[in-house]
Amino acid sequence: MWRKFGIVGLVFLLLGGVLQAKVTLLYMTAGDINMLALAQNVLGPMFSERYPEVDLRTIHTGPGDAGSRLIFEKLRAEKLAGKETWDVDVAMVHQIFLTWAMEEGDLLLKYAQDLETWKYVTSPHAKYALGVPVEGYVMPMFHSQTAIAYNPKYVPEPPRSFDELVEWVKAHPDKFGYNGIKGGMSGVSFVNAWVYWKTGKYEKYAITGPFEEEEVANWEPVFKELKEFNKYVTITAGNVGTLDALNRGEIWMGPVWVDMFYTFMLTGKMDPNMRLVLPEPGMPGQPMYFVIPAKARNVEWAEKFVEFVTSPEIQGKVIVEMYNWYPGIDGTYVKDYVSPEAYERLYRDITPEELQVKGLAFPLSPYFKAVLESYEKWVIGG
Amino acid sequence: MRSGSSAVEVKGLGGGTVRFLPLFLLLPAVAFILVMYIYPFALSIVRSFTDESGGLSLVNYYKAVSLYGRDILFSIQVAILGTLISTVLSLALASYIRLSDSRMARLINSLSRLGIFLPYVVVAQMMRSFLAPHGLLNVLLANMGLVDIDSPLQLFNIRGLTFGFLWKETPFITFIVLSGLQVIDDTYIEAARSVGARTRHIILRILLPMIKPTIAIAVVLTFCTIVSTFTLPYMIVAGNPTTVTVDIAHRVTYFGDYRVASALGVFLYLIVGVMAVYYLRRTVREEVYGY
Repeated sequence: MWRKFGIVGLVFLLLGGVLQAKVTLLYMTAGDINMLALAQNVLGPMFSERYPEVDLRTIHTGPGDAGSRLIFEKLRAEKLAGKETWDVDVAMVHQIFLTWAMEEGDLLLKYAQDLETWKYVTSPHAKYALGVPVEGYVMPMFHSQTAIAYNPKYVPEPPRSFDELVEWVKAHPDKFGYNGIKGGMSGVSFVNAWVYWKTGKYEKYAITGPFEEEEVANWEPVFKELKEFNKYVTITAGNVGTLDALNRGEIWMGPVWVDMFYTFMLTGKMDPNMRLVLPEPGMPGQPMYFVIPAKARNVEWAEKFVEFVTSPEIQGKVIVEMYNWYPGIDGTYVKDYVSPEAYERLYRDITPEELQVKGLAFPLSPYFKAVLESYEKWVIGG
Repeated sequence: MRSGSSAVEVKGLGGGTVRFLPLFLLLPAVAFILVMYIYPFALSIVRSFTDESGGLSLVNYYKAVSLYGRDILFSIQVAILGTLISTVLSLALASYIRLSDSRMARLINSLSRLGIFLPYVVVAQMMRSFLAPHGLLNVLLANMGLVDIDSPLQLFNIRGLTFGFLWKETPFITFIVLSGLQVIDDTYIEAARSVGARTRHIILRILLPMIKPTIAIAVVLTFCTIVSTFTLPYMIVAGNPTTVTVDIAHRVTYFGDYRVASALGVFLYLIVGVMAVYYLRRTVREEVYGY
């Protein structure tokens, strides 16, 4: 009897040893559920195929800034606990994460310039995130952009500017829908675009700064007009709420994330006739970044993983072709790895040149918060 | 006291130190409650009274009320409405199942339990497509000629939210109330019938008064669940106002602001606290002391 137990125990020990020999790379990702699927079903297996000694283990922390918040809190807790090596090897975060992490300090490794793929990165987002210098700490995996989706059946001539948009909305009450500011970032993006448009101060709010309270105090008329505008719109329940409402014909126009829009289309959840337009002066988008924690256990493998995902091949085959994101590295390096259809699909309604001009950034963190609170104060409240 | 007598019993087995044994046995449970419940609870209250520099202040409450005052009232409104309607529905349903012996009653009984096991997030997902302007309900009504699909019922507001809560909570209350009703002996019902009581009287004068404490428990639990649910309002209520739970998430997510979030949390404690006090005063007094 005891001998049996002994043998079983020994087998388990040996098995444990064999399994131990494999490196487990702990990857924590924020974002929608597709980010989990991307890591578990696509990137993980592909990476393990190239490097059989590594196993990617993915932890998903949830959509939106809240997901990034959890990662930030995890790393901060590990720092405060004074641990020698931290649990997370590599993480995928939103821009806002960098404002928290850089302010906290000592959370991240400066690694990006050591990577083979650093030379492909040309995006300004790799240098600054919401006005915070981040060069070297981040590698953009992809860029996602918001735009106005519309139903050509009812909107043959989409508005090319916010002026035209407002005119259209007043002529077609309840047919424009967005999700306010508490139901996801496509609505938040629309509200920020509204502020850029009305104030004309994109440069100051999103790139140069500085933050000044007087600016915010002057926003009251901007938001009063948005409140008036809201009388003519349908408020939808979340990012997906806008897409669903568009697909069901409840609304004819609304701000969406470009990647979600195409993914819905490819999976049959969106009428393939729907189109996109990016009205003047443009709308915000944001990259998602790879970061490596300061005391990651497997730094070398973490770097290899980031290098792998930011290689032109994976950027083309996975990021553009499968997920409809704009690539994190410069698009010119990617073109050879993407099918013409996928390339055409992604850039059909919004050309790379348009994107260059009208693909805006979100405002600097203090302005961003001020925009949200002003909305709460003057649009929802007052 | 009871705990004293059990300590005496243990004494015989162990020797001198056993007086501490009951306390010692309680320690893990009490420590767990202290660390996992009392500490964060106290922390959130302290935090709600702290300003950015760490000083004592009411600034968070000022912000909570000025930005989210309407949402606090909305939460209370939804909780009262949801609790009230689901209780009435449940009492009717449970009484029917208790008094009827038909196959229909048994079918309803088992069907009604389905909702109890579904998490709120699933209910919310169902309601999103069911209640949408061009969703199942509106299309159905439109096909029956009751609704014009071009100006459908707008249900992503308090109406839809309350409907979602009813869908989920009515089976739950029915389940609890029914278990109370099942215990009542048939002889009471037969006796009432034999002196000419109608079904209405049997329910209102005999059955329900006998299970008042059970109903109170169900009501309190439901009220607290509705007040604290996040997913359903987050996924259903599109515009404004919305519930305090959504605001708390909003504060933490976009602002990293745990202070105002905590202040909002304190309002939830108060709302739930009113219910708890009522419950303790009315029901426990009756139950425990019999008056």
